[in-house]
Amino acid sequence: MEDVQVVAMLVRRCIAGDAAAWEEIVHTYNRRIYNICYRFAGSADDAQDLTQEVFIKMYRTLSSYDHAKGAFVTWVTTITRNLLVDHFRKTKQDRMTDSIDTTASDHEDAQPLSEQIPDQSAPPDARVRSREVAETVQAALSKLSPELREAVILRDLQDMDYREIATVLKVPEGTVKSRINRGRAELARLLQRTYRQVM
Amino acid sequence: MPDHTSNGMQCNEFDSLLTDALDDVLTGIQLDRFQAHARVCRTCGPLLAEAEAGRNWLKGLTEVEPPASLVANILASTTGVDTQRLWTTAPARQPHVSWLERLEASFLEPMWAMVRQPRFAMSFGMAFFALSVGLTVAGVKPADLKEISLRPAAIRQTYYHTQARIVRSYDNVRLVYEVQAAVHAIRRNLAPAEPGPTKTKERKNDTSQQPEQKQERNYSQTGDQLIMASAPLALDNRDLPVVSVTTYRRFV
Repeated sequence: MEDVQVVAMLVRRCIAGDAAAWEEIVHTYNRRIYNICYRFAGSADDAQDLTQEVFIKMYRTLSSYDHAKGAFVTWVTTITRNLLVDHFRKTKQDRMTDSIDTTASDHEDAQPLSEQIPDQSAPPDARVRSREVAETVQAALSKLSPELREAVILRDLQDMDYREIATVLKVPEGTVKSRINRGRAELARLLQRTYRQVM
Repeated sequence: MPDHTSNGMQCNEFDSLLTDALDDVLTGIQLDRFQAHARVCRTCGPLLAEAEAGRNWLKGLTEVEPPASLVANILASTTGVDTQRLWTTAPARQPHVSWLERLEASFLEPMWAMVRQPRFAMSFGMAFFALSVGLTVAGVKPADLKEISLRPAAIRQTYYHTQARIVRSYDNVRLVYEVQAAVHAIRRNLAPAEPGPTKTKERKNDTSQQPEQKQERNYSQTGDQLIMASAPLALDNRDLPVVSVTTYRRFV
């Protein structure tokens, strides 16, 4: 959990031009932001570009952060989410044309979704299988609508509480819970369908 | 979601309690009612199973490792910090580099890379060709360059020699023009006067019989030449005095 006072001090130092303070912020939050971007965009290259964009925006608007209004991590996540939504709108057309044979991940050894189904008859190496399953789940996650996707990412992958998610998404807590439920159920249905096709 | 009621709980209420149930925060009678509704409701039962399965899938995802260059790129794009500093944990000792190597790396290498470009080579070739043609036309031979003395006294002497030659050429040209002008003047004086205009065109609708005020225009190239006009003598007017009119031609 972030210490509000420490972070507020760090931000003040940053605004005053302390490069070391900014470096500390980058080191602290780059992993979290990269993961949110990767899970939302589904691409390592896009995630890297988006993470950089998030930090550039943070650097420019750092003076607008008010620790009295909320936690720094919530502010950072809000910036990230807004950028991701913008990115999604720009690339909407590309996503609509995704098919089950498209490569869902830019990681090495990435395969089309139809080829990522683990072979039940011949048990492969556990590590490889785990990676394949992860890529399958990521591919299914990318097929969720952005509203459901961002809700489940923030809850199940970033462990944010419902109030924080509601602040980031600017919707009531009830809506957040509803989206999380629907997102999880939709994801399960997509994965069941994928496995059933292979079986 | 349909608004059914089973065991005293509506589907809407079940939906709102679903996240709490999966987070294990539902307790007591509320949990019992929730579980009872899930068992009998054909919509909410599968929804609970799917939501639980979906959450388990997501929880199985591990954190992705960001690229090693990410922090360096972020710092470079925000504060402009040298990214090389971040690649190594301990600063490596820089090897000694001589000034010649530094010059080569910073100046000669980029210049050589530029010279190797085909378009630069073509431009250089064209410039060399134009220079050589110009020198050949001017009569400069490479063998003459050997005899050039670069001593200040020699340069001064060359300057004065060149200046004297130019002045001499100018004087010679001026003499030629003066002689030519004198010859032209003599010819002009010896030649007979030009005949004047023999007939003037009558003006249309002229009822006054007054002489025309407008001068005749003559656009001859020789502007400073005088026109000697003489009226032709009629056979019955031989006693009239001859009037010579001198006029300057107009320039356009």
